[in-house]
Amino acid sequence: MSSATRAFRPQALSTTSLRALSRAKFLWILALAVIVVASIALPAFRSTVSVNSLLASLAPIVLIAVGQGIVVMWGGIDLSVGAIAGLATVVLSLSPVLPGGAALAVPLVLVAGLVVGLANGAGVIAGINPLLMTFAASGVVQGFALLLQSTPGAGIPLPLLTVLGTSLGAVPLFALIALVVLVAAWAWMGQSRAGRYVQAVGYDQRIATRLGFPVRRSALLVYGLSGVFASLGGMAIASRTYTADALVGASSVIDSIATVLVAGIVITGGIGSLLSILPAAVIIAVVGQVITLTGTDTYYQTIFKGVLLIAAMGVYGLADRGLKIPWRLRQKDKDASPAHTRSEPAR
Amino acid sequence: MTALDSPPLRTDRPRSGFGSALGRIPTSLWVAYGLTFACLILLGVSTSDGFNPDRLLRILSNAAPLGVVAIAQTIVIINRGLDLSVGPVMNSAAILTAVLSAAPGASLATTVPLVVLMGAAIGLVNGVLLAFTRIPPLLGTLATATIIGGVNALVTRGQPRGIVPDELRVLADGRLFGTPFSASLVIWVVLLVIVGLILTGTVAGRRFKAVGANPRASWLSGVPVRRHTLVAYTASGTLAAMAGILLIAYSGSPSLTAGDSYALNSVVAAVIGGAALAGGTGGMVGTFAGVAALAFLTTVLNSFNIPSPVQFIVNGGVLIGMLLINGRLSARRGAR
Repeated sequence: MSSATRAFRPQALSTTSLRALSRAKFLWILALAVIVVASIALPAFRSTVSVNSLLASLAPIVLIAVGQGIVVMWGGIDLSVGAIAGLATVVLSLSPVLPGGAALAVPLVLVAGLVVGLANGAGVIAGINPLLMTFAASGVVQGFALLLQSTPGAGIPLPLLTVLGTSLGAVPLFALIALVVLVAAWAWMGQSRAGRYVQAVGYDQRIATRLGFPVRRSALLVYGLSGVFASLGGMAIASRTYTADALVGASSVIDSIATVLVAGIVITGGIGSLLSILPAAVIIAVVGQVITLTGTDTYYQTIFKGVLLIAAMGVYGLADRGLKIPWRLRQKDKDASPAHTRSEPAR
Repeated sequence: MTALDSPPLRTDRPRSGFGSALGRIPTSLWVAYGLTFACLILLGVSTSDGFNPDRLLRILSNAAPLGVVAIAQTIVIINRGLDLSVGPVMNSAAILTAVLSAAPGASLATTVPLVVLMGAAIGLVNGVLLAFTRIPPLLGTLATATIIGGVNALVTRGQPRGIVPDELRVLADGRLFGTPFSASLVIWVVLLVIVGLILTGTVAGRRFKAVGANPRASWLSGVPVRRHTLVAYTASGTLAAMAGILLIAYSGSPSLTAGDSYALNSVVAAVIGGAALAGGTGGMVGTFAGVAALAFLTTVLNSFNIPSPVQFIVNGGVLIGMLLINGRLSARRGAR
C-alpha cells in the first residue's frame, strides 16, 4: 500500500522487495558468520565430503521452504508438504512397475504434487481453514503413499538414482536446482503480475478481492506451486537417502515453516522476501552439520530449531513495531462484518 | 462499518418455549451430533452386537485421553488461540509419570500432582509467550512443541524408561464401583462438565468467549485480556498433562511420540464440535460430539479390517467433508 503512495515511477526492484531485503540484512550477515566460524573452528567442515553433504541436505529444505514461503506470502499455510515429499520418494521407487518406466517417473512425481496442491487450493477456496485443509490432505496423501509402498525402505532403481544423484564437483544436482528454483520464485513473486497478486492477497485479502484481483486463481496457483516444489524436495531427499519412505517428510513440515519464519516472511502474509530463505536454511543446515560433525547429541538440533523459531519471531516482532501492520486493520474489518466468503487464515 | 451491519446475536431471540429453545441450538451442534449418530449407526450395523452398550462405553473410555486434551484445545481455541504443544506435553507427562513411579517409595498421590504441576508450568510458559508478545499462537506453540519434544528426547536419551504402576492401569481398564463406567470415562466427563460450567456459568468463564470474539472490544470494556490468555494456556497445559497420564495408563509404557498425533486431532475434534479457529465460538457439548465421532469412526474402520493406510485416507476424506459442511453452514449463518 505504501509503495503506491510513494512513487509511481517504475523501479527495478519493487519497494516491497527492497524493504524485505533490508529486513534480511542481518540474516545474511549471521549466515556468513556461522559459515566462517564453523569452517575456522572445524577443519572437518571444510572437507569436500562435508560440503557435498551440507549442500545435499540444504537442497530439500530450500525447495520445500520455497513452496511453503509462497503459500505463507499468500496468507495460508501448507502442512501437507511432508506427505507430498514422502509420496514423491515412493513413486520414484515404483518406476520399474509403472507403464512409462523411469523416464515417466519424474514428471509423474511432479504431477502428483501438483494435483495434491490444487486439491488443497480448492479446499481453501471452498472456505476450509488452510491449516485444517492441508492437515487433512496430508493424512490422505500419506495413506496413499503407504498403500503404494510395498515395503518400507524400498530402494530407488539404479538408473534413476544415477541421474538424480549427479554431482558437479562438490555440488549435487539438486542443490543447483534448489538455487534456480529459489531465485526464479523470488523474481516471479516480486516482478510478475501473478506474484504481485499473491502478495496483495496476503497483505489484505478483502482489499484484494474488492480491487478485483483473482484471489481464487492465486490460491490454486500458490498451493499448486507448493505441491510441485514439495515433490522436487522429495526427489532431493530420495537422491540422498537412496530409499523410498512414505514418512520421510514428517520433519520437513516443521523445518519448512521454521525456515520461512526465520527468513522473515510474516505468517499472516504479504510481507517478506523468498530470497531470505537461503540464509535461513543455511543457518539451520550449518548448525545441523556442526552438531553431526562434533558428535553432539542430535536432539540438541531439535531444541535449537525451536529456540531459533522463538528468537526469530521475537526479533521480527520488535523490528516490525514501526511498520503499519495490516492485520490489525483486517481484524477490525472482520469483526464489523463477519459475512466472509473464506474463513480467516490461520494465525 | 458500524455495529448495525453485524447480524443480530442469537441470544436476542425470545427465550421462551421448547421450539425456540431448539432453534437456539447452533447449527454446528446439529451437524456434530448428526455425524456422531451416523457413525454410531454405522458401527452398530457393521458388527454383530454393534449396539452393545458395554462395547460403546469401552470405545468412549478408550477415547478419554483425546477427550481430555480436546477440552484443553477447545478452551484455547475459544480464546482465539491454538495449542500445538499439547502432544509433546502429553509425552512429557507420560515419561515423567513412569520415571517418578520407578523411584523408591513413589505413590500416585505424589506423582500425579507433580506431573500435573509440570503441565501447568509448561502451559504458563506458553501463556506468557503468547500473551505478552505479538507471536501468533500457531507458531509460538509449534516452537515450544519442538523444544519440549527435543528436551524429552534429550532427557530420556531417546529411550524412555520407568514403570507404570498397577493402580494407574486400573484407571484405564477398571470399572468404577461395579458400574459399567470406567474410571477414565468418568474423569473425562467430570472434567468436561466442570470446564463447561465454568465457561458458561461464570462471568470470568464467559469472558473467554468475549476475548476470542473480539480482544480489543473486550479490553475496552474492562476484561483482563492478557490474564484470560494466560489462564487459557495454563489450563491447556494442565489438562494435557492429565491426558498424558490417561494415555500412559492405556499404553502401559512411556513413549517419545505417542502423544504427537493428539495435537492436531484435538483441533479436529474441537472444530467438528463447532469451534472456529477465529475464536469466540465452540463449547464443551460440541467438543464431546467431536471426540465421540472420531472415536466411533476409527472403530468402524478398524472393524471392517481396513488396512491402516486406507484408514488415513478415509479419516482425511471425512475431515475434509466435515470442514466443507461446517464452512458452508457458517458462511450461511454469517450472510443472514
